[in-house]
Amino acid sequence: MRLTHWVNVLAIIIMVGSGLRIFNAYPAFARKGEMFCCYPFEHKPIPAWLTFGGWLGGARHWHFAAMWLLVVNGLVYITFIYLHGEWRDLVPRKGDVRDSWQMVKFYAFRRKDHPHQGKHNALQKTAYFLLPLFGLLAVLTGIAIWKPVQLAPLTALFGGYVWARYWHFLAMLAIVILSVVHVFMVFAVDPYSIPSMITGNYNPEHSPEARNARPFYHLFPKRVTAAPSAPAPAEPM
Amino acid sequence: MSEHDLDRRKFIWQSGGLISAALLAACNSRGPKAADRLLKYAERKNRGLETALFRHTSMDVVQGGAHEAGNKLPAYFVSRTVPVWNESVRGKWALEVSGMVGNPLRLTLDDLQKLPQVSNRVNHYCVEGWTAVETWTGVPFRELAALVKADPQAKFVDFQSFDDDYHESWDIESAMHRQTVVAYGLDGKLLEPAHGAPARVYSPVKLGYKNTKYLTKIVFMPVMNGGYWSDQGYEWYGGV
Repeated sequence: MRLTHWVNVLAIIIMVGSGLRIFNAYPAFARKGEMFCCYPFEHKPIPAWLTFGGWLGGARHWHFAAMWLLVVNGLVYITFIYLHGEWRDLVPRKGDVRDSWQMVKFYAFRRKDHPHQGKHNALQKTAYFLLPLFGLLAVLTGIAIWKPVQLAPLTALFGGYVWARYWHFLAMLAIVILSVVHVFMVFAVDPYSIPSMITGNYNPEHSPEARNARPFYHLFPKRVTAAPSAPAPAEPM
Repeated sequence: MSEHDLDRRKFIWQSGGLISAALLAACNSRGPKAADRLLKYAERKNRGLETALFRHTSMDVVQGGAHEAGNKLPAYFVSRTVPVWNESVRGKWALEVSGMVGNPLRLTLDDLQKLPQVSNRVNHYCVEGWTAVETWTGVPFRELAALVKADPQAKFVDFQSFDDDYHESWDIESAMHRQTVVAYGLDGKLLEPAHGAPARVYSPVKLGYKNTKYLTKIVFMPVMNGGYWSDQGYEWYGGV
């Protein structure tokens, strides 16, 4: 289960890097002889250092190999989370919007105390619920632009090849944004969760809620010892 | 603060540093050499899947409202200058159709134009990611195959050209697809040298680089024969 997280890290890095290298072969969306409405950076390549694969053919091989890693890993994750019942921590529930807003207010210093939460706070829950959905969108739009003739109905579902390629790009962007924010929050709010991403153990006394932690605020746990003025209890002889 | 906490913090910084270093090393690289075999394996498996997905009834359809690329269609060849068939040096151009066939033929442009003709308005899918709408006029490949009495054992076909040593071999099923034509016309006019005159293969079921221009020979074969770009590391199948 935790293994799928790190396999996912590897798969996403390979897929995004090689995908951007493929994109750079034609960093635009317009059909030849047409304009494209909705991308402001047509014909501006992505910086090479963000790409992976070295050349178009190499990046395609990486992309079409790692896609299986991503898909199989995604299926394993969904299966595990279903069998273990952990999906219950992630499905949207009534009040999530309200709770998310409370988290936003807390992070923006408009609320003093950390809202009460379960395993994840409401913003986190939303992000972890959305990520697999964006992943699914990325996979489906990817298949649509891989096989636009043999699987034409799928491509048509996304508005044809040009638009499917655009949705594929946006799905990637959404995944990258969620991942970057996730990594930032891990380091800025809850670095104590990093060992738990590997070992599975988590000390609830270090949770952001217990520490009332905002990004870079209250990084260190509250002192758990009693107030210094309290007299030490007498030891029985 | 316990010693345990210090260890933990050290661990966090170390793992962060390790991941960053690995990322920087991987940037813009071809990736580890050791992965080559794995990538080759994946390509073989993907080819199997693509072959299984292939349907003769799956047709490329141009989206409503799509514009013709016209003169925005990129011209591309591997010779240093536009390849032009020089009649005074090489004699009259003719397309040789040979290999595992019962009735090998040499067809001049006139011969080709007398054969059953189709015009397909279809998409061009380039490996780079762009598409272009064009109308290709020519002889359906399957008509040619019937005419030369192609051996059913010929599972591959090689399209060869006079653009240096450019050629690409295909699986026979993709070649027999109804939208695969030996084209001599583009957008209602005779094909120009920039786009592969006198004749080229054109099919929306294959990526652009598989569609050999400046044809000289079509050879039916029992085995695949690589190709100009396939040999340089692009996928041999290149199916759409």
